[in-house]
Amino acid sequence: MIIQVKNLVKRYGDLVALDHLSFNVKEGEIVGLLGPNGSGKSTAIHCILSLLKYDKGDIEIFGKKMTPDAYDVKRDIGLVMQNVAVFDELTVYENINYFCGLYVRDRAERKRLVDEAIAFVELEAFKKFYPKKLSGGLLRRLNIACGIAHKPKLIILDEPTVAVDPQSRNKILEGIEHLNAQGATIVYTSHYMEEVEQICSRIVIIDKGRVIASGTKEELKAMITLGEKITVEVFTIEEDQLRVLREQPGIMSVDYVSKQLIIKSDKGNNNLEIVLEFLKANHIGFGRIYSELPTLNDVFLEITGKQLRD
Amino acid sequence: MPVFNLCLKIIRKNWISISIYLAIFLVISVLLSTNSAPKETHNFSQEKAKLVFISKDHTPLTEGFRKELAKSATFVKIPDNTEKLQDALFFRQATYILRIPKGFTENVLNGGSMQLEKTIVPNSAENAYVDLSVNQYWRLAKLYAKHEPQLSEKQLADKLSANFSHNTPIEMKAQIRAKTDQGFSMYYFNFLAYTLSAVLILGISTVMIVFNKNDLRRRNFCSPVHASSINSQMILANLLFAAISWVILVGFCFIFDSKNIMTPNMIYFLLNSAVFTLCISCISYLIGNLLGNLRNMSAVCNVVTLGPCFISGVFVPQQFLGETILKIARFTPTYWYVQANDEISQLTRFTWTDLSPVFYNIAVLIGFSLAFLALSLVVGKRKRLTDR
Amino acid sequence: MFIHVFIYRFKCLIRDRQMVFWTLLFPLLLATFFYMAFINLNSDETFRPIHAGVISNAAYQQDQSFRSVLTDVSKGEDRLFNLKVASSKEKADQWLKSNRIQGYYFISGKELHLTVKGSGMDQSIMKSFADQYRHDHIAVEDILQTNPLALNHGLMADVSNHQSFVKETSGGSAEPNNILNYFYSLIAMACLYGSFWGMKEIIDIQADLSDRAARINVAPIHKLNAFLAGSCAALVILFTEILILLAYLHFGLKINFGNRAGYVLLTAFIGSVLGLSFGAFVSAAVKKGEGVKTAILMAVSMGGSFLSGMMVMNMKYLVAEYVPLLAWINPVNLLTDAFYSLYYYDSLQRYALNMGMMCAFIVLFCAGTYQIVRRWNYASL
Repeated sequence: MIIQVKNLVKRYGDLVALDHLSFNVKEGEIVGLLGPNGSGKSTAIHCILSLLKYDKGDIEIFGKKMTPDAYDVKRDIGLVMQNVAVFDELTVYENINYFCGLYVRDRAERKRLVDEAIAFVELEAFKKFYPKKLSGGLLRRLNIACGIAHKPKLIILDEPTVAVDPQSRNKILEGIEHLNAQGATIVYTSHYMEEVEQICSRIVIIDKGRVIASGTKEELKAMITLGEKITVEVFTIEEDQLRVLREQPGIMSVDYVSKQLIIKSDKGNNNLEIVLEFLKANHIGFGRIYSELPTLNDVFLEITGKQLRD
Repeated sequence: MPVFNLCLKIIRKNWISISIYLAIFLVISVLLSTNSAPKETHNFSQEKAKLVFISKDHTPLTEGFRKELAKSATFVKIPDNTEKLQDALFFRQATYILRIPKGFTENVLNGGSMQLEKTIVPNSAENAYVDLSVNQYWRLAKLYAKHEPQLSEKQLADKLSANFSHNTPIEMKAQIRAKTDQGFSMYYFNFLAYTLSAVLILGISTVMIVFNKNDLRRRNFCSPVHASSINSQMILANLLFAAISWVILVGFCFIFDSKNIMTPNMIYFLLNSAVFTLCISCISYLIGNLLGNLRNMSAVCNVVTLGPCFISGVFVPQQFLGETILKIARFTPTYWYVQANDEISQLTRFTWTDLSPVFYNIAVLIGFSLAFLALSLVVGKRKRLTDR
Repeated sequence: MFIHVFIYRFKCLIRDRQMVFWTLLFPLLLATFFYMAFINLNSDETFRPIHAGVISNAAYQQDQSFRSVLTDVSKGEDRLFNLKVASSKEKADQWLKSNRIQGYYFISGKELHLTVKGSGMDQSIMKSFADQYRHDHIAVEDILQTNPLALNHGLMADVSNHQSFVKETSGGSAEPNNILNYFYSLIAMACLYGSFWGMKEIIDIQADLSDRAARINVAPIHKLNAFLAGSCAALVILFTEILILLAYLHFGLKINFGNRAGYVLLTAFIGSVLGLSFGAFVSAAVKKGEGVKTAILMAVSMGGSFLSGMMVMNMKYLVAEYVPLLAWINPVNLLTDAFYSLYYYDSLQRYALNMGMMCAFIVLFCAGTYQIVRRWNYASL
C-alpha cells in the first residue's frame, strides 16, 4: 500500500473541509481524486503531505506514518502543485536543479536527473530562460519538472492542467502515463472528468470532504442504474404518447425538450430497439438518433443530485 | 473621451498612496516652514549664544559675571555629566560650556593665572562672541582689583555692573523691507517642489505605464481612435490631475498663511509654482514613457524627486550649498524654481527691472518643460514603432 | 545540503534587483545627496573674520588708542575683523548697502557709534567689541578718579593687556560635528532596510505564505536547516552591502567614524543581524499579505530613521531628552547611537549599552521567529 488515509477530519472553524475521508493508493496505480471545486481535494493532498494540521485521522505513506519530519518518506514523494511554484530569480535549469538538490546530494547524479527532467518536459531550448519569459504552458511544464526531477516513487499532482491549452494538456497527460509506466505511483486531482477518465486506473470521487464512490471507471459506471442515454430528434409527440413510453420496460425517464426526446434507460440490452419500435408503432416521425453510455458526470449526478461542473 | 476617463480612473485607484504623500508632505512642510521662517526684527537685538554655566565658585563676582553674561547668552540647563554635556554640544543644544573652578575669583584678584574652562564647538562664531564677554569681565575685575585694592568683592561687582550698563549707541540702517513677511511662503513654496515632484511622478507615470503595457497599447493602436487623439486625451487627463494637485497644495498654503494671500508677491509665487507643476508633469510624462513596469517606478520616483531637492536648495537653503553642487543643480528645473522663489520673496517693488530675474527663472523652467515634452513625444513614438 | 540551499538562496536574493536597489543603491545615493547638501552646513557656524568698516574722520585720527586696538584685532590669523577704512560716511553707507561690510564704527565727539544693517552674530560681535572699548575707557576714568597714581603703576599697560581668562578643555577626543549624525542614521536605515531580505527568507520558507515554500516543506530537508542556510545567504549579502556603504562613506565621502575601526565593523555586523532578524520576525508574526508586511517594515525603518534624526537632526536629541524609552526601543536609534558613541565618546560604556540592547532585540526577534518557523504544518494554507 503506497498511501493509506483513514478517517481524515479537517475543520476550518465551523466548516468541515474533510469529513472522515478514507482511501488507499496501491503501488503502480494512477489514482484520480475527482470532485468539484471546493470539495476538499487540495486540502486532502495538503494533509497527506503534512503541510496542513488535521483534526483527526491516520495517514500512512509507504507503510509509515507521515509526519513533517519523516524525511525518508518525503525523499520518495514528488509534488506538483496547482499554482506554479518556482523562483523568478532562477533560470529554468537552476530551478529544477535547486529543487532536485533538496533530494539528491550527488552532483553528477543530480545533473543527470535534471537533464532527464528537462528532456521529459521538452524544455531543452529554454534552459537558460527565466520563468518570466516563459508562456503559460511552458511554465506549467517547468512546474512539473521541478516536482518530478528526483524520480520519486509517488507523484502527487494537484490540478496540474488548470488553465493549460489543450495541446500542453495532452502532453502533460501523456507524460503522467509515461511516468507511471516507468514505475511511479500517481495521485492526480482534477475536476475535469475527461482527464480522469482518460488516464486514471482508479478514481475516487470526493464531495463535501467525503468519498462518495471509488473504483475503476467501469466499476463506477456499473454502480449506477443508468445504462444508456438515448436522444431522438422528434418533431411532434403527444403527452399521452410520452406517458405510454415511460411505461415501457427498461425505461427510467423520458423528457421532451425543444424537439429532443431524451430517454434514460437501465442496463438492459435492447433499449434502443424498444424505443424505435414504439416510435414506429405510433407513427411518430423522427430524425437523428444517438445513444450514449453514462459518463462520470452521470455517476456524480446520480449520487449527489448535482452536476460535477456547474 | 474614453481614454481621458480611463486615465482619471487609474489615478483614482492610486489615490491612497498619493494621499499618503500629500499628508506626509503637508505635516513636514508646515513644520519646517514654521521653524525656518526668520523672525523679522526692526530694532537691533543682540544675539545670544546657548551656554551652559557651571560654577563651582560662589562669590559676588561670579554672580555679577553670570548677570553680565546673560546679555550675550541664554543659559541652558544641562546636568553636569560628561556625556550629557557632550550630547548637548553635539546637537547644538548648547554651543559653549563654561566651568568656573573653585577659588577662581580669589586667584584672579590676587594676580594668579587660574583660568576658566570652556568646552565648545570648535571654531564657532558663538565661541568668539562669548569669549569677548568673558574676558572683558574678568580683565576689568582684575584691573579694578589691582588699582583699587581697597574695594571689597561686593563693591567690585557693583562697580563692574555700573560700568557694563553703558552701551554703544547703534544705528540701524534698515532696508526697505517686503510689505509683509514672506518667510513662510518662501519655505512652503520651496518645499512644495518636493511633494509636487513626488505626487505628480507617482500619479502620472502610473497612468502612462498602465497605458504603455504592450497589449493595451496595441489594442489602443488598433482602435479607430486617432493616435494623436489618444495622446492628447492622455495629456489632458494628466494635466487635470496636475492642476488638482497644485490647487490642493497651494490651497494649504492659504490656510496656514492666510494673512499673506493678498500680497502681490503671492501672485508670482503662484505663477512660479504653476509653471513648475507643468514642468514636473512633462518629466513625469517622460518617465512614464521610458519605464516599462510599475515595480521600478518607486525607485525612479524616489531618486528623481529626492536628488534635485537635495542639491537645489529645497531641503537645505541654497546659500549653504557648495559652488560645484549648485553648478550641477543648474541642470535640474528645481534649481530655477527655488531661485525664482527666493527672488520673489525679496520683491518689494514690482517694476520690470525688479521682476526680470523672476521672469528669467520662469522662462528657464518653461524651456525645461518644452524640452522634456519634446523628448517624451520622441521616446513615445519610437516605442510605438520599435515594438517588441 | 546546507551549502546547496545557501548557494541557491544567494542566487535568488542577489538577482532581485528591486531589493538590491533599496538596500544598496538607495542608501549610496542618499549618502551622496546628504553629502552634497550638508557638507557646508558646518561652515555656516564657523567663525570667519567680520568685514567691518570704520570712518576715518578727525576724531578717529586723534583717538590713537582706539586706532591701535582696532588695527590690533584686525591682524593675524585669529583676527576678529577684516577692516576697511572709509574716507567718508557716504562711502561707508554705500559699502553697507552693498553688503561689503557688516557695519561700521565712527567716532563723533567723544563717543563711539556703530551702524549696522540688521541683527546677527557678526553685528553682535561688533557691538561687543565697541562696548569693550567703552567699558575700558570708563574703567580707566573711574580708577583715576579714586586713585590718580594708578597711571604710575602701569594702569595703561594693564588695560591693554589682553590676557585670556578662559582655556579650552575638550569634552572628548572627537569634535562635535553634528553632520555626522545624518550619515550614522543613514547606515542604520540601510541595516533596517535589510529587514526586506529577512521577509523574503520567511516568505520562501513558510508554506502558508508561498507555494515555493510548500515545495521545500515537502522535501526531505529539515526546515530550520533550510531557513538557516537562506538566512546566512541573506546575511552575507546584507553585511557586504553595509560594508560597501561604510567604505563609500569613509573613503569616498571622508566621513569620520572615530578611530576604532574594529568596533565600527562589529556594529555594522550586529546592525545587519538586527535588520535581518527584525524583518524575519515581523514577516513571520504578521499573518497578512506581503503588502502589509512591507508597509510595516517600511514604516518602522523610516519612522525610526526620522526619530533618530535622519531628516531633522535635533529629533534624536529631543527624543532622548523627553521620551528616553522611545530612544531605547527604536532599533534605528540604537544603531545610530552606537556609531555616535563610538565616534564621540572616549568611554565605551554607552556603546556597550547600545550593543547590549541590540543583542537583546536580536535574541528576542530570533526566538520569536524560531517559535513560528519551527512549526511544520499549518492551520490553513
